[in-house]
Amino acid sequence: MLPLLLVFVGSLYLSGAEASSVPFQAGLFFLDEKESHGHAAIRRDTLAMDTLGRVQDLELFTVEGRAEQLRREESSAIELIRQDFIRENRGGSLMKSLERVPGVNLIGIGSGASKPLIRGLGFNQVMVVENGIKHEGQQWGADHGLEVDQYAADQIVIVKGPASFKYGSDAIAGVIDIREKLAPAEEGLGGGVEIGARSNNAWFGGSANVFARKGKWFGEARLTAADYGDFRVPADSVFVYDFGVALSDNQVRNTAGRELDFSGRVGFLGENFRNILLFSQVYTRSGFFANAHGLEPRQVDAKLHDCSSRDVLLPYQEVRHTKLINRASYAVGRNFVQLDLGYQRNDRQEWSQYVNHGYMPAIYPSELPYPSTLERAFDKEVFSLNIKDELFLERHDLSFGASGEYQRNTIGGWGFLIPAFQQYSFGVYGMDKFRIHPLWQLTAALRYDHSQIEVEAYQDWFPSVEDASQATSEDYLFRAEEFRRDFNSLVWSVGANYSPGNLSLKANLGTSFRMPIAKELAANGVNYHYFRYEKGDPTLEPERSLQLDFGADLKKENWLVSFSPFVNFFSNYIYLNPTSELDILYGAGNQVFNYTQAEVLRYGAELSVVRQLSKQLSLELLGEYVYSEQMSGGKKGFTLPFSPSPSGILNATYKPKGVGIFENPYFAVDFRVTAKQSNIVPPEKVTPGYQLVHLRAGSAISVFRQTIQADLQVQNLLNTRYLNHTSFYRLINLPEAGRNVALSLSYQF
Amino acid sequence: MKKYLIASLAALLFSSCGKDEKPIDMEYPEIVVTADSFPLQCSVLQRGTTLQFKALFRDNAELGGFSLDIHHNFDHHTHSTEVNSCVEDPVKSPVKPMLLIQTFPIPDGLTEYEGTAEIEIPADIDPGDYHFMIRLTDDEGWQTLQGLSIKIQ
Repeated sequence: MLPLLLVFVGSLYLSGAEASSVPFQAGLFFLDEKESHGHAAIRRDTLAMDTLGRVQDLELFTVEGRAEQLRREESSAIELIRQDFIRENRGGSLMKSLERVPGVNLIGIGSGASKPLIRGLGFNQVMVVENGIKHEGQQWGADHGLEVDQYAADQIVIVKGPASFKYGSDAIAGVIDIREKLAPAEEGLGGGVEIGARSNNAWFGGSANVFARKGKWFGEARLTAADYGDFRVPADSVFVYDFGVALSDNQVRNTAGRELDFSGRVGFLGENFRNILLFSQVYTRSGFFANAHGLEPRQVDAKLHDCSSRDVLLPYQEVRHTKLINRASYAVGRNFVQLDLGYQRNDRQEWSQYVNHGYMPAIYPSELPYPSTLERAFDKEVFSLNIKDELFLERHDLSFGASGEYQRNTIGGWGFLIPAFQQYSFGVYGMDKFRIHPLWQLTAALRYDHSQIEVEAYQDWFPSVEDASQATSEDYLFRAEEFRRDFNSLVWSVGANYSPGNLSLKANLGTSFRMPIAKELAANGVNYHYFRYEKGDPTLEPERSLQLDFGADLKKENWLVSFSPFVNFFSNYIYLNPTSELDILYGAGNQVFNYTQAEVLRYGAELSVVRQLSKQLSLELLGEYVYSEQMSGGKKGFTLPFSPSPSGILNATYKPKGVGIFENPYFAVDFRVTAKQSNIVPPEKVTPGYQLVHLRAGSAISVFRQTIQADLQVQNLLNTRYLNHTSFYRLINLPEAGRNVALSLSYQF
Repeated sequence: MKKYLIASLAALLFSSCGKDEKPIDMEYPEIVVTADSFPLQCSVLQRGTTLQFKALFRDNAELGGFSLDIHHNFDHHTHSTEVNSCVEDPVKSPVKPMLLIQTFPIPDGLTEYEGTAEIEIPADIDPGDYHFMIRLTDDEGWQTLQGLSIKIQ
């Protein structure tokens, strides 16, 4: 423990010393405390009953100053993001819209898909929760997006740190907890329409919803649609390895896509009993850069692709994510009991022309059960159950809970990466928040989990020999053997909050865990996107992490300062290690990448400083920094893949008084500085630093007694050519999107 | 005083880390084209002959291994990492295309190595456009690819 503390102190000292020189810091994030009248009304409703009032606070985060309260009550590093923030920063995908939050990054692919990175960790180490149920996509692929309708997200709680004790496996690096809007407060009908356009990829889209409340019942339906063309970069050619690719009209060939989502919910809000049934489906179809499927250079029919910038040709991905969730709660006396049941299905296909890699036959055999263009298919079905009981005593908030999950995964297509598998898991936990003193609160939690994974065998459909006519049955390789593993885990967490006056301090020490996923245990195929042979290890142990978090918030006069450093140690981080070996039989001559476990030390911090200069003008400084180092294993001394560069944002926001039809106008400019990332690990490349300027402006406009909210963004104002270290296309030097003007109009009725 | 203490703690920490750390290898290995290298981009080979592969490999720290891969390019997909494209035959369907996948170790401890291999080109394979891929790794796991377009007649 001592070395950890030392590192922490060291990092604190260093970051403090260099605070003025580099935007090197990290940050915290200032929340707008505006509240709609509807929400405030609900709060008045519910406060009448003691327990329920508290429960509403806890569950719905609607109270004035709730963000601050949340930060004071939770001992882990936590951020609360509201719909306003998402609207004003809206990008092509939910994570793109959240990129401004310090400590949050994304792995982006194209303009419409991205997945979260929290403090540099992502994939299965970050858990996404939507409406109380863990979102289960095919999380292991860097080219997969997060299948969430960003228009339906109302409030997002981001936990930047381990939260396994509350959420279970996969919450080892953090949680993105997405919550739907509150039930409508007033009787009658209502709704809203939001439409938008983005210049860079000729994106058109929007979302509309209607809702109704009658007595204790309410219902809501939403439809979201988007259609976009190829995105543009400030370059007329790129080099995939050394292979030169001319871009027509600066467009990244075949990155167009579309999205169609719908959702609905029906709820009953009784005095003690509440029940909400939610249904949603998110469908996306988006193209991959045609000249490089993965990282493989491809000769393409440029004429065919370039005749339309809006068509989605091969290669492309298609995902349909369906969810059915029922949330029931019962409040009685000092108890609040909640039961969530969920079913979800993630149905994903990756379409691409057949290319005979390795030992695959030159001509695609017609007897295979898949079309020759279906490279890979994954179909995941998940059943989940969460139950918890919260007990509000005078000085203790106790909660106990249990959760269970069963999932079934099948695969298809001519390409192979991971085998089919089934898994189940269950966990139980208990947590206590103890208000030991008006200024002091202690939190302690304990959780036990058990899970089992059953992997199915997979045999190649082609023989691995140079002359197929001589093949014997042994030449049809088993890529995966059937096996079963059981995992157990016990995690704990202790924290303290101290809130004297304007200052709020907190500390949390906790362990977290993550069960190895099927890919890590059982992968045994060539990933032709990267020309590497990935080999799983069925003996891997659950990943364990110990993290120490600190947080300090100061709110004084015209200052709001937040600082949240952390230090984190993994005793057995699961890592895909590139070796010097090349495998001929299973790897078809490709480089061998082994899943191994190594000790990893990480530390970093986020910083946010807001200075209100006058009623109208404020300045803000946001920064983030994370350092990772492998302390053992084959890559000792190296960092981890996808390490975000240190970065900072300097912002000025001007909110003048409304004039005429304009109410609550705002103008904001963000100057983003990202440092060079030279901490890399094979096969990454050093990524140069860059500076970007973003503009935002908006206002409510009153016309004919109706209010329309208009928001305008100019992203990458100077059309800067830059590379993002955590982008999927970084390895082929594809620059990020150029200048983008985005307009959105929203109307509530 | 407090600041001094923190500084010395930090210094202690970072210096103690620094001592046992050898500098990590951050460089890709190189496939160096020399006058002896063969095949080259757009080389033409004859069926029924033996291809004498030769290439110079170099790394700043230590070389790992290399592999060679010959596969048809009758459909004009590309792995070529060379910029100049060769004159290609019309697109056609393969009947009996040549396929070769071979891996080769490089002796330990070398920073420069001349890779050689003798590859027989069978007389009965489909003539036409082929790809010749060289994959080179170093000891740390950095990989360099070179893809060449060749023709077999």
